[in-house]
Amino acid sequence: MATLMATLQYIISTVEFNHSGELLATGDKGGRVVIFQQEQENKIQSHSRGEYNVYSTFQSHEPEFDYLKSLEIEEKINKIRWLPQKNAAQFLLSTNDKTIKLWKISERDKRPEGYNLKEEDGRYRDPTTVTTLRVPVFRPMDLMVEASPRRIFANAHTYHINSISINSDYETYLSADDLRINLWHLEITDRSFNIVDIKPANMEELTEVITAAEFHPNSCNTFVYSSSKGTIRLCDMRASALCDRHSKLFEEPEDPSNRSFFSEIISSISDVKFSHSGRYMMTRDYLSVKIWDLNMENRPVETYQVHEYLRSKLCSLYENDCIFDKFECCWNGSDSVVMTGSYNNFFRMFDRNTKRDITLEASRENNKPRTVLKPRKVCASGKRKKDEISVDSLDFNKKILHTAWHPKENIIAVATTNNLYIFQDKVN
Amino acid sequence: MEFKLEAHRIVSISLGKIYNSRVQRGGIKLHKNLLVSLVLRSARQVYLSDPCPGLYLAGHPGTPAPPQQLGEPAAGPPAGWGEPPPPAARSAWPEPEPQPERPAVPEVLRTGDAETAAAVTGTGDALQGGEGEAAEAAWRRVEGPRETAAGGAGGPAGGSDVFPEGPRPARRPCGCPPGDEDTLSAAPRMDCCHTPRPAGDQPPATPPVCPRKRGAAGVGSGPAGCPAPGSTPLKKPRRNLEEQSGGAAVAAEEEEMETGNVANLISIFGSSFSGLLRKSPGGGREEAEGEETGPEATEPGQICCDKPVLRDINPWSTAIVAF
Repeated sequence: MATLMATLQYIISTVEFNHSGELLATGDKGGRVVIFQQEQENKIQSHSRGEYNVYSTFQSHEPEFDYLKSLEIEEKINKIRWLPQKNAAQFLLSTNDKTIKLWKISERDKRPEGYNLKEEDGRYRDPTTVTTLRVPVFRPMDLMVEASPRRIFANAHTYHINSISINSDYETYLSADDLRINLWHLEITDRSFNIVDIKPANMEELTEVITAAEFHPNSCNTFVYSSSKGTIRLCDMRASALCDRHSKLFEEPEDPSNRSFFSEIISSISDVKFSHSGRYMMTRDYLSVKIWDLNMENRPVETYQVHEYLRSKLCSLYENDCIFDKFECCWNGSDSVVMTGSYNNFFRMFDRNTKRDITLEASRENNKPRTVLKPRKVCASGKRKKDEISVDSLDFNKKILHTAWHPKENIIAVATTNNLYIFQDKVN
Repeated sequence: MEFKLEAHRIVSISLGKIYNSRVQRGGIKLHKNLLVSLVLRSARQVYLSDPCPGLYLAGHPGTPAPPQQLGEPAAGPPAGWGEPPPPAARSAWPEPEPQPERPAVPEVLRTGDAETAAAVTGTGDALQGGEGEAAEAAWRRVEGPRETAAGGAGGPAGGSDVFPEGPRPARRPCGCPPGDEDTLSAAPRMDCCHTPRPAGDQPPATPPVCPRKRGAAGVGSGPAGCPAPGSTPLKKPRRNLEEQSGGAAVAAEEEEMETGNVANLISIFGSSFSGLLRKSPGGGREEAEGEETGPEATEPGQICCDKPVLRDINPWSTAIVAF
């Protein structure tokens, strides 16, 4: 597998391929967005897949201070979502805890030259020295990629934004915080519609919060949101203006034999993703990945254990805060494989058809190009075989929370704390 | 009994997290605090529903392993009373579950406190003083994370900073004069340590005065605002903290947790704690005298999270104040 490894200055907080897979955007804790671009395939070496190189870097969000509430607003980018490409420019939405921004990323590879009143360096000429007129022409220049904020959607969220999702109509999008979901039009920044509100009249009765939300990939009226109680609600915007009443409720009954102090925490869903087909959705809770058929609400159709060996360590994970880590999950382009991250810089893939799974590690040692990643195994208890890693020697500071899969090819992006790895599967 | 110790420990850790969240950048995270409050509530219920409120203090061996410790092998034979437990081996993992009879000392610990604990562990023979120091050190350790966590708590606390488990059970928190060791019962020890306060007093009312035996190592890193080791260390920090916001209530009550008087409180004020035992969040409010809630309710700015979280804390702190 060929790899790219890029080290970012700040902790990576989100990773997202665009619709064609040519661009990969990362957001970090410092409010910056770094975009990588896949090289066009080299016609001569036809089996050499394009590598990813830095394409553009810009500061999306800055830290702010809310004077009214005496709160600092972090500049950390929580989510990035690409718009489908409509013209030469690319557009993406990036959000921090409070503000969503629409960025236009455009290339400039020509510039006008031959002005009558200006020198090439910009200084104005003395008009009296102009004796002839000419028409400025475009001449090639070094490629410059510019990012400019085109819309700023602010002041609509009291709580921390955790999700944004672009509708399949490509005109509207939703943003979700802990208690509310708002619907925006991409062109309109001064107002949004509130479509879900689970804030209780008395905050003391609060029992659950919204943890993630996503529009259906094909039905522009359908979206889902997940909760900290492990439930997913599917809502239809045609039913009513305020979608507090769900159309479907997906919930699996808790296994009473697994009850502990921390049952509620580990059942909290950290990510929800529709399959590309729109027939299934996947949820990630602390220990497992579940695949749900949208037609069956009472239980998932598939459940994959990510790191079941941690179940006996929940108390320690609570103490060191790891139990609150929010892992994401993703589908491959054909919806046949799902991927999610774990600790010790491990990430896991589950093949839904063969039911096989694999654990791989993203580390510098594996980073030589063309290195084939070796599968890893964690030994939960008992005798540790050679090459296995015992649970106690896992590094819980090295966690992979964000992963992304190219929409068409077997290329994956995996983010460790500060490093971005891109792995490609060479089929040829 | 293990349930109670574990529950006590979890309550302490949870309160520490809630306190730390107030100083975290970006404001209070509603989701995390909600989850912590749920854990707090579960632990509190277990704590209160345990049928032997006093027995845990006597540390009977051979108690059954709690069902919550899923998958965890049963702890080794409990150390007898009076023996300092051997320092736990340092490992990448903190001890996941406490040994039986080990005190419910929170392991949300920072390296800076290691010396205190180590010194405390060392004083094996001077049990009475050692326990007083240990409990106080334990209390300070609980306080410690709040100071050191200012500006960005949230990094894994347990990771590689594990140090020996708190060596002393919470049964001798205030360094009471010897002689009680073998006569522990459910009867309150308040008469030897505390001045009872009328229920519903204002917070600055006479706090319990616990003479604490101090050793050389007992007062390493005190909490900010704590006076230099003096005669009434509990008094001043408690008063200062209680007059501040709800976080202070947390601090005061963490201290009280460590002193292990909670069980006594419960047994004495059985009916007054009905609010604690109610599952619904609104339960404790009616019991509260309200003075503790005032500062929290009026604190500006932190609107996202205060109430559901403090809902759980108020009954505790109010009860302690009442006591």
